[in-house]
Amino acid sequence: MNLNRPVIRLLILKDWQLFEKQLAAYVLAGLGALTLLGLARPWAFYLGSLALIVVVVAAACFAISNSLLVERKEQTLAFVMSLPVSPLDFTISKLLGNLLTFGVPFCVLLLGTLVVILSTPLPDGLVILATLLFGHILLAYSVSLAVAMQVESEGWNTFAMIGSMVLVNPFLMALGQIESIQGPIRQDAIAWSLPAALILGAQLLVSVVVLVHTAWWHGRKAAFY
Amino acid sequence: MPGVSPDAVPADRIHALDHLRALAMLAGVLFHAALAYSPLLAPVWPPADRQTWWGVDALIWLPHLVRMPLFFLIAGYFTASLLERRGMGGLARQRARRILLPFLVAWPLVDGSLALATEWAASAVTQSSPMLRLIRDWLALPDPPGLPPRTGHLWFLYYLLLFGVVLWAVRALGWGGGLARLMARGPQAVAGLLPLVLWPGFMATGSPHPAPESLLPEAWALAVFGPFYALGLGLHGRLDWLTPLRPWLKPAAALCLGLYAVLLDHWTTDATVARTAWATALLEALIAAWGTLLALALGLRWLARPSPLLRYLSASAYWTYLVHLPLLFALQYPMMDLGWPWPLKFATAVSATTALCLLSYELLVRRTPLQRFVG
Repeated sequence: MNLNRPVIRLLILKDWQLFEKQLAAYVLAGLGALTLLGLARPWAFYLGSLALIVVVVAAACFAISNSLLVERKEQTLAFVMSLPVSPLDFTISKLLGNLLTFGVPFCVLLLGTLVVILSTPLPDGLVILATLLFGHILLAYSVSLAVAMQVESEGWNTFAMIGSMVLVNPFLMALGQIESIQGPIRQDAIAWSLPAALILGAQLLVSVVVLVHTAWWHGRKAAFY
Repeated sequence: MPGVSPDAVPADRIHALDHLRALAMLAGVLFHAALAYSPLLAPVWPPADRQTWWGVDALIWLPHLVRMPLFFLIAGYFTASLLERRGMGGLARQRARRILLPFLVAWPLVDGSLALATEWAASAVTQSSPMLRLIRDWLALPDPPGLPPRTGHLWFLYYLLLFGVVLWAVRALGWGGGLARLMARGPQAVAGLLPLVLWPGFMATGSPHPAPESLLPEAWALAVFGPFYALGLGLHGRLDWLTPLRPWLKPAAALCLGLYAVLLDHWTTDATVARTAWATALLEALIAAWGTLLALALGLRWLARPSPLLRYLSASAYWTYLVHLPLLFALQYPMMDLGWPWPLKFATAVSATTALCLLSYELLVRRTPLQRFVG
């Protein structure tokens, strides 16, 4: 597999530079949310938690929308085809670029959330719920990214993004029905039960499989269309 | 202290800023050592001695209100210098090497050594401080609850990283012009506005302000130290911008001293746990703003000539910052049971800590690969 690494790097850099402004806004909003949580007041906690979820979901949707859907509309692909890149190079650059632009705010906010739980009087068991919540957002993002790369229909893409992200609500409700998950999150110790570990493992595995399958599927293509 | 590193300083070195940094670091060692004899901090400072003197509080809090803002201002200045020479990517790499990595490595070591010394003191020291007694009772619990992770005195590094992220975001969003427009209004306008900007931050915390050691960004610390970092960024390449303030130096010094006298009157021993009243916060904001500008202006005027001693202290300041507190605690805990007069204990602790910091810098940092990270 011969990859044109310098061009892939440049394409990722291009996505980063195009997305930098929005990414900066998301990171600032995330810091603002964490600062709200740091005020240690009930209203600030609820507002900060909500802001964190909004920021990470918005970052996920915006990364996909900006780098794939908008580019498709503006027919950037025609320009990319004039570069010395193969479809696989282009796919890899899109995947890595997206993972970078989404990964930065995702990691910052995941870390911030864990810090909130571990450094406040909140029960440490909430780490499990928070990790599963972020696991769901990662999975929803991976599915949306895969759909955006494989399906050109704007309607289906919008459906995939909104549908998968909104599923976070029933997902949380479902977690609330599993006693072996619900019980430990109220405790001050982090005790991963088998169902919780299996769900997290499944989220990570499916995310990776979806992304690898997308890369493999595109890699097999001999032409861009 | 970080924020200024040998590779961050341009060829036309600004000695005054190096020297100010060295003096501010020395003031930090003196401050932390003196806290053991401060009546104001006696209830909460672990190595608090049974001997206290009101004069300690009168002497240490004024420089402290100026010292940390000055560090942030200098850090902002040299950040702008790095940004100009290396761009945002180069700045990010330099910050990762000189701040993030040392923070991640030093944090568990410093935290662990402080915890170890304090646990030893809680069981071994007979003339315990109120905080040590509390820790002793807590350790005696059958299953003592764990304490949340905190940055300890390395909070300065943590906030430098945060301000670095904010700087990147502000530049990416194209908001940098606001600072330039503010600076264009002149130093008198900035000096007049600065206390008003700091005021809400001081109101949102205790007085005297604690160290923002939480891993969550603390709003008051961002509001108090952020403007100084921004001012440092704005001052880069035009330190002569401060020149119009020269006629105000003496009146400002007198005013700061007067305001500080009123502030001391406001403080009571239980003030640390209470929310700051608006008047106390305003006093702190005025002193921090004008005192810092005053210290900077005086430094630029009197410390501009090269000094090998201050240059050396400046070079070792980062290392001293990292290691001085565990050394100080380790020295002060055993001294709590000694019958020496407190000035002797204080002098011993300060001189031994400084000597150990400089000796370890000489042996472990100055001529070793560590120089690139914490030298």
